[in-house]
Amino acid sequence: MSASVELKNASVTFGNFYAAKNINVKINGGEFFSFLGPSGCGKTTLLRAISGFQDLSEGEVLIDGVDMSRIGPNKRPTSLIFQNLALFPLMSVADNISFSLEVRGVDKKKRRSRANELIELMALDGQGEKMVHQLSGGQKQRVAIARALAIEPKVLLLDEPLSALDLKLRQRMRTELRAIQKRVNITFIYITHDQSEALTMSDRIAVMNEGEIEQIGLCADVYNKPLTPFVATFVGENNSIDGKLTEVSSNEATISTENGSFKSCLNNSDGKYSIGDEVFLFIRPEALELAKNGNFDNVIDINIDTFEFEGNIKNYFAKLGSNKKIKFSIPNSVDTSDIHSGSNIQIGFNKLNSVILKKGQLAVDT
Amino acid sequence: MSNRLINYSLIFYIITFFVFLFGPLIIMSITAFNSADFPRISPWDCLSFRWFNEGMVDYVGQHQAGLLTDQKLKEGFYNSIFIGFFVVLLTVPIGLAAALVLTQINPKLRELFYSLSIMPVLFPGVIIGISTVVLWNRLSGLSDEGILSEVGRNGIFLTILAQTCFISTYCFLIFVARLQRFDRSQEEAALDLGATQTQVFFKILLPYLAPAIGSSAVIAFLASFENYNTTVFSILSDRTLTTVIASKVRLGITPAISALAFAIIVITVLAVIIYEFYKRRVDRLKKIEEQTLLASQSSDSRVQKIEIPKINFIKPLSFFIIIAIILSILFTQVLKNNLYGDACIANVEEEKKRKIEEQRKLEEEKFKLSEEDLQSGNKGGNSAFGDIFNSDLFEY
Ligand SMILES: Nc1ncnc2c1ncn2[C@@H]1O[C@H](COP(=O)(O)OP(=O)(O)OP(=O)(O)O)[C@@H](O)[C@H]1O
Ligand SMILES: [Mg+2]
Repeated sequence: MSASVELKNASVTFGNFYAAKNINVKINGGEFFSFLGPSGCGKTTLLRAISGFQDLSEGEVLIDGVDMSRIGPNKRPTSLIFQNLALFPLMSVADNISFSLEVRGVDKKKRRSRANELIELMALDGQGEKMVHQLSGGQKQRVAIARALAIEPKVLLLDEPLSALDLKLRQRMRTELRAIQKRVNITFIYITHDQSEALTMSDRIAVMNEGEIEQIGLCADVYNKPLTPFVATFVGENNSIDGKLTEVSSNEATISTENGSFKSCLNNSDGKYSIGDEVFLFIRPEALELAKNGNFDNVIDINIDTFEFEGNIKNYFAKLGSNKKIKFSIPNSVDTSDIHSGSNIQIGFNKLNSVILKKGQLAVDT
Repeated sequence: MSNRLINYSLIFYIITFFVFLFGPLIIMSITAFNSADFPRISPWDCLSFRWFNEGMVDYVGQHQAGLLTDQKLKEGFYNSIFIGFFVVLLTVPIGLAAALVLTQINPKLRELFYSLSIMPVLFPGVIIGISTVVLWNRLSGLSDEGILSEVGRNGIFLTILAQTCFISTYCFLIFVARLQRFDRSQEEAALDLGATQTQVFFKILLPYLAPAIGSSAVIAFLASFENYNTTVFSILSDRTLTTVIASKVRLGITPAISALAFAIIVITVLAVIIYEFYKRRVDRLKKIEEQTLLASQSSDSRVQKIEIPKINFIKPLSFFIIIAIILSILFTQVLKNNLYGDACIANVEEEKKRKIEEQRKLEEEKFKLSEEDLQSGNKGGNSAFGDIFNSDLFEY
């Protein structure tokens, strides 16, 4: 069983500080939905509002269309996996997992069998009698998930549950979480500041910044068609070049920069752009290719600075004009024997692989 | 060089510290075994256990009670335990409740509530005692008969109330300290999993607070047991151990008190030792259990059987044996020199009686002498002012 979750004009204030501001989002039943945003942008606050620990100062939370404002956290069909997991240190793993059954008065035998079921599901065999402090980080993680799943909630809320794990385990848990979600088929609302985590697991994501949602959409849309400069730079890497619009049509525009004029796409323009506007041009590193290898809408002259071999791709950092930097990635299979540090070359990109956006806040490099 | 100096001074410091801490207790314990009628080490009369049992009859014919025959001490002891028990029953819940309120209350009121809650420990205990008596004296005066007048004049009841007043603050402080380290997200996790507030309290919070409940109960009992300055007023005509001891000190202390102190020290030390052994045993069992569990349930190749070391009884045991040997050597020496037993005591007492007798005789003689003086015509007053300025008048 899964349930939809809807936030309508939801805001949370601490004093005169908006931790979440005017949030509108509808999450469908059975969906794997992620909130993605930098640290301190209000993700946890939002999740606490959905689970009932945080009162909204404005707006409402609807779960399966029912207003939750008068329903306490213990009565909501949600389970929250806390950022610090919040396992009960004085109970065994099995008791932790069956806690939600215990408080509902389920008898001991049923509790045991359900706990064993979940222990098996989470590949925790043989850990049932251990205390929490005797588990490894990944095991704790899975105990927390098992505990949250024990009463079969309609919505599972996960607050950066993987942030404390090492990279390998994190990657394995990503696939595992996704698989668990498909198996139990309940709504997952996942919070993370790690864009690759959000992109790999989710059906849809919402990108947040400073308490507000910047964009909601399918992973590919958010990545390929960012609506704000923040989204463009926070989700994946992006080169940004600033300039002025010199030509505008319904979904195309020309930007003039210190380094020449480029043709590019406009997303969601709706006549918001006009000639003379200050804008950014965003081009992904992987959208840039060596100009000699094809026909491109735009071509840029650059001066190679440094080089980084990453295995499947090669990253080049180059100087653009006097003070700008640009990064581009080339598949390992492409011959780059003639490119060296200091060589002047041309790279190109197609207008469909780039986007022009009104000037705004960029994500700070992390 | 300087390192050595530091080491020596550290050892010196530790020894001084322990002497300072335990010296008086050890001296007091030893005096319990001296047969003398005053707690002292020197002069040493005889080794004797009479201050633990029957005490003695002094040469005036008055019975000086020993530990087991002292009815007042016994009564005070039982009263102290009774009071302590009820004080624990009252203070632990009160302290816990107050600490919980502190975590729930509006942050603006928190400071005020905290200050109010710790006020009783800042008041002098004397004032708490007196004010309790004054209040209940008034209340009991409201009616001539019935519970109120009974209870208001009952020293034990008043003492329980008066002690509860400030001891609950101790408990409060212990609970506050523990609660400050409580991870609130555990409470939220339990709520999120469907627990009611009551269930959160009994299943999450109370188990977490269990150690604090234990330690606050112990501290409350000890604080009640040893309290004097509040109790001395609120106890009215009843008595507790501390008030009995205090009145004894005023009327003349006997080694029975030392015997009591020794008994308390021995009980405490034994309790500590037993607790230590118990804890080690539990730890060890837990470890064994974990190991077998791991070995039986996991196929992980890293699980290997680790030999769990047996508890080493030899060291503590040898320590006790050495003490026992020293004691028995001392005891045989004592026996050899006839320093133990009724005969010895009789000897010493005989000696003492003789000395006193001598003293008395001497005085009598002096008195006689002056008597003779008077009879021989010197009728006191060979001058205008009688013998007032005669320095001989005050000489014996
Ligand atoms: N109880 C509170 N009182 C005041 N401010 C708060 C409170 N809780 C959170 N905030 C503020 O609200 C903002 C959002 O906090 P939140 O915990 O939602 O961030 P987050 O997006 O989860 O960050 P992270 O990724 O670091 O967990 C932060 O600036 C934080 O300082
Ligand atoms: Mg957070």
